[in-house]
Amino acid sequence: MHGSTDDPLIARVAEELRRPVTPRPGFDARVMAAVRQAPPSLPRRTWAWLREPRTLALSPLGGLAMAAGLAGLVIMGTWGVMTVGRSGEAGRAAAVQGAAAGELSVVTFVLVAPEARSVALAGDFEGWDRARMPMTRVASGLWTLDVSLAPGRYQYAFVVDGSRFVADPAAPRAVGDDFGQPNSVVTVGGGAMRAAGGSL
Amino acid sequence: MNGNSLRAAAVLCALVLPSAARAQVERLAGRLDANTRSAVTAIVDSVRGACVPTNPLVNKALEGASKGADGARIVSAVRALAGDLARARAALGRAATEPELVAGAAAIRAGAAPAFLERLRGDDPRSSLVVPLAVMADLVSSGVPADTAAQSVLALVQAGKREADLVAFRQSVERDIALGAPAGGAAAALVATPATASVPGEPPSPPRPRKP
Repeated sequence: MHGSTDDPLIARVAEELRRPVTPRPGFDARVMAAVRQAPPSLPRRTWAWLREPRTLALSPLGGLAMAAGLAGLVIMGTWGVMTVGRSGEAGRAAAVQGAAAGELSVVTFVLVAPEARSVALAGDFEGWDRARMPMTRVASGLWTLDVSLAPGRYQYAFVVDGSRFVADPAAPRAVGDDFGQPNSVVTVGGGAMRAAGGSL
Repeated sequence: MNGNSLRAAAVLCALVLPSAARAQVERLAGRLDANTRSAVTAIVDSVRGACVPTNPLVNKALEGASKGADGARIVSAVRALAGDLARARAALGRAATEPELVAGAAAIRAGAAPAFLERLRGDDPRSSLVVPLAVMADLVSSGVPADTAAQSVLALVQAGKREADLVAFRQSVERDIALGAPAGGAAAALVATPATASVPGEPPSPPRPRKP
C-alpha cells in the first residue's frame, strides 16, 4: 500500500476519512449513563448477593435440624480422616489432610533395603501392628511412607519381610530395650516437616 | 499454675481417664493371651487414680506382643513404664500433657532426675516440654552422660533456645560424636558456644524471660 495516490476520487475519500471527528456535546455523559444502566455481569451480581446482609428466620425445629446436619458432617469428616489414616496405602492422603488441619506434622519415613521383599512401619502411633502401615517401594531398594503425627515422641521400627524388626539407622535410638529389638525415636515438635530414615 | 487450673486438671483426669482407659484396654483383645492381658489391665487400672495416661502402657504391651515377647517380659516392661510415667507426672504436675509425660518418662528412663523435670517446668510453665525432654533422652542414647545431657538442655532452654535449636544441638552433638569427640565433651563444648546451637541461617533466639 502506498501513502499517496493520483486518483482524485481516492484522494477525496482519504481526505474525508482523515478529517477529525468532533462528538456532539454531552456524548461522554450519555455513554456513561448507558453503561451505568446496563445490568452487571453474573459474577458481579453473585458477589453483591453474597455480601448483602440478610435476616434469616429460623424456627427452633429448623435450627435443631441444621445443627444435627452440621454435627453429622463433622462426624463423617472425622471418620473419613481416621479411615484413611488407618490405611497404609493411603498414608499420603492422610498426611495431606493432617497438614491442612494445622496440628499434625508430616513425617516421611525412609528405609533403603534393596534385598527386602516388603517393608512396613510399626510404632506407638498405630499399635505396633506389623502389617497395618506397609511402605511403598519407590526406587530400587528405597522404601518410603508419609505419616501425619501430632506433637509428641514416638518409638518405631521397620518390619522387614513381615517379621524382622529393624531400627532406623538414621534416627536416635530409644533408651532401653524392653524386648531385645531396639526401637528408633521420632519427636514431633512445632509442626515443621521432617524426615526420618536411613539404609540397611 | 494456679489452684483453679490444678483442680480443673484433676477433675478432667477423673472424668476422662476411666473411659479412655477402657477404650485402650480393648485394643489388647486378640493380641495378648488371657493371663498377660489380665495382668496388663490390672496395671492400667492401678494407675488411673494417679492421672497417668494409659495409651503408652497399652502401646508397650502391643509392642511386646508384636515382637513375640513372653507374657512376663511384657508385664515387666509395662510395669516399668507405668512407674516412669507416674514419676514424670509427679514432677511435671497434673496439667502435663500425655506427650510431655511420655517424653518425661523417656528422660527419666535415660537417667534424668525428677528435679530436672521440675526445673524445666518451673522455668517455663506454659511451653511444651516434649522437645527438651526428648532431646535429653536422645543425647543419653547417643552416649552423653545423663547429668551432662540434662545440664546442657537446661542451659539451652534457659537461654531461650527454641525447639529447632534444641534439635539442631542434638544433631551437632551426634555429628561430633560420630567424628570421634568424647560424648560428654561434645555436648558441653556446644553449650559453651550457644551460637552453634542455633539453626543454620537463622539469627540467634532472644533470651527467654526468666521467672523471678
